[in-house]
Amino acid sequence: MRKTWAIVRRELIAYFSSPLAYVVLAAFLLMQGYIFYLLVSFLNNPQTQAMTPLRLFFGGTIFFWLFLLFVVPVITMRLIAEERRSGTIEVLLTSPVTEAQVVVGKFAAAMLFYIALWLPTVLYVLVLMRHSEIDLGPVLAGYVGVLLLGFLFLAVGTFASTLTDNQLIAAIIAFAVMVALFSIGLVEQLIMSSGLKAVLGHMNLWTQMDDFAKGIVDTRHVVYQLSFGALFLFLAAKSLEVKKWR
Amino acid sequence: MIEVENLGKTYVKEPVVRDLSFFVPEGQVLGFLGPNGAGKTTVMRMLTAFLPPTTGRVVVAGVDLDEDPVALRRNVGYLPENVPLYPEMRVDEYLRFRADIEEVPRAEVRDRMDDVAERCMIGDVRRQVIGTLSKGFRQRVGLAGALIHQPPVLILDEPTVGLDPNQIIRVRELITELGRDHTVLLSTHILPEVEQVCERVFIIDRGRIVADGAPDALRTQLIGNPALAVELKGADGVATEALLGLPGVVAVSEREPGHFVVEHAPDADPREAVFGLAVERGWVLMALIPHRASLEDVFVRLTTREETVAEELAEEVSHA
Repeated sequence: MRKTWAIVRRELIAYFSSPLAYVVLAAFLLMQGYIFYLLVSFLNNPQTQAMTPLRLFFGGTIFFWLFLLFVVPVITMRLIAEERRSGTIEVLLTSPVTEAQVVVGKFAAAMLFYIALWLPTVLYVLVLMRHSEIDLGPVLAGYVGVLLLGFLFLAVGTFASTLTDNQLIAAIIAFAVMVALFSIGLVEQLIMSSGLKAVLGHMNLWTQMDDFAKGIVDTRHVVYQLSFGALFLFLAAKSLEVKKWR
Repeated sequence: MIEVENLGKTYVKEPVVRDLSFFVPEGQVLGFLGPNGAGKTTVMRMLTAFLPPTTGRVVVAGVDLDEDPVALRRNVGYLPENVPLYPEMRVDEYLRFRADIEEVPRAEVRDRMDDVAERCMIGDVRRQVIGTLSKGFRQRVGLAGALIHQPPVLILDEPTVGLDPNQIIRVRELITELGRDHTVLLSTHILPEVEQVCERVFIIDRGRIVADGAPDALRTQLIGNPALAVELKGADGVATEALLGLPGVVAVSEREPGHFVVEHAPDADPREAVFGLAVERGWVLMALIPHRASLEDVFVRLTTREETVAEELAEEVSHA
């Protein structure tokens, strides 16, 4: 535990000592703020149908997904690829630390950074609370959805980062796998076979996120995202082991 | 302290390390010498449980690599080639990180950090960001990191590469000092380094040990007798013969007129006799230089041989 925590701490130092972290934070907030403003003014128009801005905010629009798909690879690309490039992986894996501890530590740091990214959006909720009634249930469920999606996507990114010593390639692989996971649900509409359609329906991240935003915490979604995330973390640890045998 | 039996490593059918066996007793400073690509780094990576060997057995400080690689890592301090560090961290942050992952007991972390900082002479830069340090300081920070858990065995892969001459001298002094209470294995292709620092040398070529011994012993064993370079003015044709007649001299050759190479027995020193001879015959002694075959010569001879000769040599070493 202490060793994993040491890796988490080191990774956080790395995040916050590079300008990248601040660029990502600033861009993320700027985008989210702008989208939030758009949603609120859109819904202020009496002609639009009744909906809460926070429901749209959490995955209801393509902006949410676009940004998530771009930001996660940027967060994770450095994790292990950079250790491989600089050779520090050799120091790490000749100390009494296991591959699993390395992966978990790195991933946990990415998750903490991701949470830091979302933290300021709590302000939007507070702003809305000042001006109208807010049902906190769906808001909390929305954040649960954001965390679970983050878990899955960051695990994919961590895995991608073990595959290469080039950060850019790691980011591209992460992006491709995430887009595949995201679009597998969208393909649902194109499929005729009802069995396959049902399977893909369950894998549809957009509708899953929409459920969370509505306040539905469906355990099937939770299990799907956690288990796929865990699978990618497992693969990351294995890939780290296998790279040494080459 | 380090026991290696029939160690081998094959990358994609290409043998990089072949059937290596050796034993390093506690407290020895051992140099791995070899041209680039000889397999030095691969051997070191196997001894530190970074790479799993294809064949053979490794025991470091009583721990078998096969049985418990993580325990083996606890006994080894490793400084990889090119000293990989995290440039964004401060020196103290890095040392603390190393202490944490190397399982230094919490209560001792502070003391250990102070101790290695002092030994490696990095006390003045502990608050600095590693990326802003000079190469020499980074090397010492890397060493400090490798020492933090007081490992009985230190493995250093080319610890002086890229340093300026002053820094090289300092790092060498440090290694010599570390050799007093650690078993040290270092690799290098800088020959004077092993002569200065190591008690014992392995010359490695194409994944095999082609020579094993003390630097001095290797020199005489492989190069032959020591020699004097003698330059005489006014010497006539009889000089060669006259020099050969001196006690202890075993061979004389005249390289160019007036320039002689006088080979002598290792325990003899014919310099006085050469001087006396010159005085007696009325020759002017222009130069009298002991010509010690350097390890450089040994190295070049051993690593430029034909494949078959290298094989025979490796055979000889493993039988000895």
